Amino acid sequence: MRAAFGKEKWRYLLYTMTHPVDGFYWIRHQDRGSVPLAVLLVICFSLCFSINRISANFIVNDVEPASVDSLQELSGVLLLYVLLCVGNWSITCLMNGSGRMKDIAIAIGYGCAPMIPALLIATVFSQFITVEEGAFYYLIIGLGVAYAVIVMLLGIRQVHDYTMGKTLVTLFLTFVAILFILFVSLLLIDLIGQVYNFFRSIYTELVFRM
Amino acid sequence: MKFLKKLSSLLLAALMLAACLPVQALADDVPYQTYNYDYWEEIVQIPAPYVPDGAISGVSLNCGTFASPQDICVAPNGDLYIADTGHNRIVVVDGTGRKVERIIDSFENEGETDTFNAPTGVCVSENERLYVADRENQRIVVLELDGTLDHIVRDPQSDVLPAGFVFKPLKISVDYADRIYCIAQNMFQGILVFETDGQFSGFFGTINVQLTLWEKFWKKVATKEERQNQTLYIATEFTGMDIDESGFVYATNIDENGLQGVRRLNPRGEDVIKKGRNENVGGDLWINGSGAYAGPSQITDVVYRGEGIFSLLDRKRGRVFTYDHEGNLLYIFGGLGTQEGTFTTPVAIEQWNGELLVLDATRAEIYRFSPTEYGSLINQAVALRYDGDEALAVPLWERVLELDENNELACSGIGKAYLSAGDNKAAMKYLKLGMNRDYYSVAFKRYRSEILRAHLGQALTVLGVVIVAAVAVTKLRDRFKAKGRGKKEKGGVSG
Repeated sequence: MRAAFGKEKWRYLLYTMTHPVDGFYWIRHQDRGSVPLAVLLVICFSLCFSINRISANFIVNDVEPASVDSLQELSGVLLLYVLLCVGNWSITCLMNGSGRMKDIAIAIGYGCAPMIPALLIATVFSQFITVEEGAFYYLIIGLGVAYAVIVMLLGIRQVHDYTMGKTLVTLFLTFVAILFILFVSLLLIDLIGQVYNFFRSIYTELVFRM
Repeated sequence: MKFLKKLSSLLLAALMLAACLPVQALADDVPYQTYNYDYWEEIVQIPAPYVPDGAISGVSLNCGTFASPQDICVAPNGDLYIADTGHNRIVVVDGTGRKVERIIDSFENEGETDTFNAPTGVCVSENERLYVADRENQRIVVLELDGTLDHIVRDPQSDVLPAGFVFKPLKISVDYADRIYCIAQNMFQGILVFETDGQFSGFFGTINVQLTLWEKFWKKVATKEERQNQTLYIATEFTGMDIDESGFVYATNIDENGLQGVRRLNPRGEDVIKKGRNENVGGDLWINGSGAYAGPSQITDVVYRGEGIFSLLDRKRGRVFTYDHEGNLLYIFGGLGTQEGTFTTPVAIEQWNGELLVLDATRAEIYRFSPTEYGSLINQAVALRYDGDEALAVPLWERVLELDENNELACSGIGKAYLSAGDNKAAMKYLKLGMNRDYYSVAFKRYRSEILRAHLGQALTVLGVVIVAAVAVTKLRDRFKAKGRGKKEKGGVSG
């Protein structure tokens, strides 16, 4: 576990942020990345997202602070993370992707990293601006998002050894797969619920008669 | 035993004393909801802005029960005109609301006695003439206030009217130049305008049909036969009108989306209403749900109350919505029911001596609502703001905050006053509480430059010192290193 959060893992994260192509290549081939670190980054991203929604100055913030539930947002983000990883993995398995589950998880998790400072900086910055300067606030967030998307795309491309076009196609198929997974799991949950209710009604029936 | 007797008499006395104490008017005492929507469009309860204050009915006036009255109008001299539609008469009530001045049920027309047939709209112009929308006689009757006929407007002639159009006027309003604005039955093209001489001059304020993308798509796809079988996309009709002092027409309509229930039409017929920060002048914002009680408000009438304030009457849930000239909601009250002060079929609203009057067609009564301290404070403060005397409004807003501490308009008003007084920090506090982004920004900008101006000198000095120190340290270190290296090199040579 110490190795997972070890100093060289953090240093390599920084290296990957500045050299995504090389960075993800060695993550794939020399296990220089760390899945726990990737998950930690996703959690941090979710927290920063909530912090931004709660604490950004009201002149740029259209969200009612009282309506933000950071734990709910955390579970939503984690669920989306798992779905993305599983969806991408199931598609790339069929499309000659060389990335393992581990690599995909790292690529997506590390991809979230640029959003963390962007959201934090934007939140602090928003306290010192007027409405007219709001464009800079959105610029900071926009840069963060753009950086994250680029890192994530390059990461997925690199770990699977794809061309850019194929990466985009697989990403589209990933979203289709996610929808499919959601559909099947909803169906499953519903059916399980019906079975549960069936046995439950038998139980209540028995209890009432005895 | 004696003790018990004493105790019970004591209790009795206490009870009687409690019953004698004056009762405070709380929001719970009125038979309806009083609320508003805050910045986040959440419902917030507010103190009652208006309380029920009796009713005017045919019985109370000793002139026989009204039959399905459809409209009321307040004349410039304070008389109240009631269109008693079912009895084909106009009842004129004096300024106290207790006495009938006169009843107009017939008039002399070319030597013969003429009567109304279902008068659904009534209006008294600034020039003291009575206009009656005589629906079933398909005409507008213009009378002097004493009941003698001035002229009759009928059969509008124009190419823009559809062939076979039957003119059935429902509601009328008259502006300062005696132009007649008329809402007619089944006329979807807008408000009919008649010039002073009674000539029809055109339509006014047409509501355009808004098609969604989806409907446009199906229209494209459908064949000609299919299109003929589809329902027509028809604009909504107007439901009620009022005219402000500068001649702008406030006209209500029923909006299926609940976004815009009223238009403010300039003399060219263009809508110039401001929709406030919620981008909504359509009544209730929370309209989801199922059942007869859910759905968008159905605005049936509007009253312009001066200083930019106007009130809308909703027949869906029997509510009265009051807005300022910027389209911000001031307060909401009213409801459906059978108690006094609630409505069954509200059809018209008017302002009368500072009171609000709501006409209920089914119960054939007019309900009076008088402003509470809270309601009149807001009215006055908004009026002062409209006139540009924002500083004078501050004590009023402060009192409003005592009654309703979350009132955003009051916070905003106080904040703006602080801003113009130069107290930027206090302005920021109140403008933030009032959720006023633009003015908060202004206050913050001034506060920021204030701070910068005060501390920029110090900050630059500190920065300068730090830079000098940093340069010095690096230089010294370089020299030190160079020396050290020199020593090493020397040592290397000698070794």
